[in-house]
Amino acid sequence: MTRLLVRYRRPLILSSTLLLSFVLMTLQVRSQSPLADLTKRMLLTTISPILRIAAVSKATTVSLWKEYIDLRRVRRDNQLLREEVSQFRVQVGELQEAAQENSRLNYLLQLGSPSGTEAVAAKVIGKDVTNWFRTILIDKGGKEGIQRHMAVVAPEGLVGRVVDVTARAARVQLITDPESSIGCLVQRSRVAGVAAGSQAGAVQIKYLPLMADVVVGDRVITSGMGGIIPKGIPLGKVIRSSRPNGALFQETEVQALADFSRLEEVMVLKRPPEGDLPSGGGKRLP
Amino acid sequence: MSILLLALLGVCLLQSTVAHRLAIGGVQPDLFLVLVFGLSLSTRTELATVGGFMIGLYQDSLSGAPLGLNAFTLSLIGFLVSQLSRQVKTAEPATRFALLFLAGIVSGLTTLLVLRFFQVFRPVASTILWTVLPGAIYTAILGAGVLAMPRLRGMRGLGR
Repeated sequence: MTRLLVRYRRPLILSSTLLLSFVLMTLQVRSQSPLADLTKRMLLTTISPILRIAAVSKATTVSLWKEYIDLRRVRRDNQLLREEVSQFRVQVGELQEAAQENSRLNYLLQLGSPSGTEAVAAKVIGKDVTNWFRTILIDKGGKEGIQRHMAVVAPEGLVGRVVDVTARAARVQLITDPESSIGCLVQRSRVAGVAAGSQAGAVQIKYLPLMADVVVGDRVITSGMGGIIPKGIPLGKVIRSSRPNGALFQETEVQALADFSRLEEVMVLKRPPEGDLPSGGGKRLP
Repeated sequence: MSILLLALLGVCLLQSTVAHRLAIGGVQPDLFLVLVFGLSLSTRTELATVGGFMIGLYQDSLSGAPLGLNAFTLSLIGFLVSQLSRQVKTAEPATRFALLFLAGIVSGLTTLLVLRFFQVFRPVASTILWTVLPGAIYTAILGAGVLAMPRLRGMRGLGR
């Protein structure tokens, strides 16, 4: 018997496994026996913890991988965004610059408006290269109808007057130039004088009588004397006033309202048109 | 035996987590069949048969198949391959591929027959054409490749 078993062990084992499989299937499919389910559950129980660990590991690995990929993508996006931000910053800077310029020019236009003077906006393209004179160069000249002695203003106040004109540029003598002299008024007391520049770069009011009512802080405006520079343009503010013994006039120093070190745009005020409006060369203010 | 258990564990993990990602046209390789095939080439027929049965049981537990279906099929495959490997040189990759392909066909047809016996009817022609045949080819290619790897070439320790 044992010899038979040993001899036919292979077919016997195969038959046994096939039979057992068949029985298990029959139990589950035909008779809905809980034994098959229990066996299946037991087998699953032995493998499920490992599968769970594997699933968690897989999920973790996938998550890490995705995070890594995301990180790379984020880094790339970050780089692109940084570049865009840089470009936008440049654009914003340019826009801000344009807006500020626009604002300044608007102000300049409004400044010229009350006097009804035709005005031409110009950009400052150069400053005096010596310490002897205080002038600036603007980018508008004879082609735009600019002539000598025309008044030049900034948003804050008077800048000076045109002293040299070429076709495409003009030189403006600042009110701080030692050679500059402009008729002025102390706005509060209406005392008239002459605002003259000095070598030190200050503006002094000359020919103010000793008894004239001038105090520190008074605003000084143009007087319009001479008919070149319109009346009422702010010029500066009195910062010092003294009456030296024996002198004929007060010594009054004025601080110009315009900041000449930061001038970028100016407005050249042309003479008021006679009769009809000219056809070109400037902008007619409302 | 410990190596067999480890291999079984590995196959369970791979089949349940990775194999579906390797599916081509909805057909995934049968790594359990590859394991039984490798076991059958490297061990005695009795162990291959019992091993096939156990591996099949695990496959059943991880699938929606009735318990015993794959156990039945794989124990038969284990027995047949082990018997064949005594008469055919199985060291050649081409032979392995052919045997594995045959094993896949036998496995598929047996499954089809057993299911039919239990009143689970599947369309025979289309099942063979679109499930059994592609599955056998895919498994044979993958299995022959895996078994040709240097460390797995012998697989002699699988049954120990």
